[in-house]
Amino acid sequence: MTVTTTPTLIYRPDGEPGSEPLSITPGPTSLAGIRIGVMENAKPNSDVVMGRAAEIMAARVGGTVTVLTGKRLPNSAEFDNAKGDEMGISEGVLQLLKEKADVVITGVADCGSCSAYTAYDTIELERNGIPTILTTTTRFEQIARTLVSDFGLPSARTLVLPHPIGGTDHERLFEWGEQAVDEMIIQFGRQV
Amino acid sequence: MTATDAAPDQALIELDDESPERLYELFEAHGWGDGLPLVAPTTGRVDAMLEHSAGHPDEVLATLAPRFGRLTRRVVAVNAVLAGCPPEVFPVVLTAALALSQPEANLRGVNATTHPVSFMTIVHGDIARTAGFNAGVGAFGPGNRANATVGRAIRLMMLHVAGARPGFGDAATQGQPSKYTYCAAENADESPWPSYPASIGINAASAVTVHCGENPHNVHDMEAEGDPVTILGKYASAMTSLGMNNACMPFAEFFVAFGPEHAQSLAKVGLDRDGIASFLHEHAALPLRDFHRHFKGYGRTTWQELSDEDELSGMTTDGGKIRIMVIGGPGKHGSIIPSWGMTRSVTLPLTA
Repeated sequence: MTVTTTPTLIYRPDGEPGSEPLSITPGPTSLAGIRIGVMENAKPNSDVVMGRAAEIMAARVGGTVTVLTGKRLPNSAEFDNAKGDEMGISEGVLQLLKEKADVVITGVADCGSCSAYTAYDTIELERNGIPTILTTTTRFEQIARTLVSDFGLPSARTLVLPHPIGGTDHERLFEWGEQAVDEMIIQFGRQV
Repeated sequence: MTATDAAPDQALIELDDESPERLYELFEAHGWGDGLPLVAPTTGRVDAMLEHSAGHPDEVLATLAPRFGRLTRRVVAVNAVLAGCPPEVFPVVLTAALALSQPEANLRGVNATTHPVSFMTIVHGDIARTAGFNAGVGAFGPGNRANATVGRAIRLMMLHVAGARPGFGDAATQGQPSKYTYCAAENADESPWPSYPASIGINAASAVTVHCGENPHNVHDMEAEGDPVTILGKYASAMTSLGMNNACMPFAEFFVAFGPEHAQSLAKVGLDRDGIASFLHEHAALPLRDFHRHFKGYGRTTWQELSDEDELSGMTTDGGKIRIMVIGGPGKHGSIIPSWGMTRSVTLPLTA
């Protein structure tokens, strides 16, 4: 028996993506005297590894770490009064960074939802004219890059550290921070 | 729908045949699908689905994060066809998608998280009966087409429109079976209390609730007298686990789905939703030292930080976080459904 088939039209299931394409803020032409901000997302050891990386970079280029901050800690009263999607940078932290930092390193995106929030924060800071590095780990690089792309900024400055950050001892994290400085200098210097 | 509502050309793909094998091949090549067989979304089948809609098929109604894919009636219909939905359930799929697009549902976090969270969808009112949903025996599955395919259609929309593909827009460490499908109807006929939507001030003939949480955790109590304390004590016990996100985020919701027999035993002694929620809030609790030891103060309030270590602290900040409804058939079982945490349930009147 011969089976005949007829061509047919079917729909794609995904529909149009919604995000408008964005570009990064051009980096400073010189890093001498640069003011570096660190915004950690409350994931364990994020402040340790990014803080160390920022200090070593500042020492190398003749800059200063001017801000070391969280963005918004999820306490119950705050969340009760907010909608679920409002887990980004608080207005106060944004103003602090705009006033006191020329560049920012943020993260660490080493889980799923924190990757989404860090991607969003990175774009928020870039939109405000602050060159920003999104810090992730080898095991979450793919999802972090997918998310910044989904949010409209596929060219986001990205720093990939070893995994995991939470649960790794401080001595090792300091090493990882120090080893990240070359890449940070390249990323902050990018113009496109 | 009219002839002017024809599909845009870029939305269509020519397929040499619509066999399951050919469809698998196409979908795998694009990174689409949930791994199960699919129904080809031909123009004819999608048009039949859209017969149950009440607006322009290509109107952008919302976006779904993290991809921020544009949600239209047509793309909802496409995914409903893929899932095997009968056309009459289309309004339920659309309403659930709109509920999940609300900011308080927080899809950006829910879809991307390493937590296994999925979308529990509960159907209320007339549409549950007219479209053939199961509120009784085995409501969470398997065996009923409306329940099975609506839950699956919602997941397919997340994979396709929201971009929640494992490893890309969805980082779930393990996932969970309810990520394939997760839908039931409220058993209002056997509930001793007003319907769930009515209890939160939504008086519509039909409605849909979505809650982003874990699989149901079973609660079994077959004590002969139907003692409310033995019943509720077991529900409270099931709610009390340091491994749930509710433990470190006590502002999050719990859903409690009583089987009708448990609900009737509780109502017989005069308990209503508020009384039950108060009991569960009071009894689903652990000493503060356990929270301090495990969470380093994360998500706890100032008064808790200042209290003695042996003081009990609830899994919920108050009884209002405990959402109660009746689901299922005969037997002495029910379930609790913990939350992902940074999300709120949404109930919307049915829309088309």
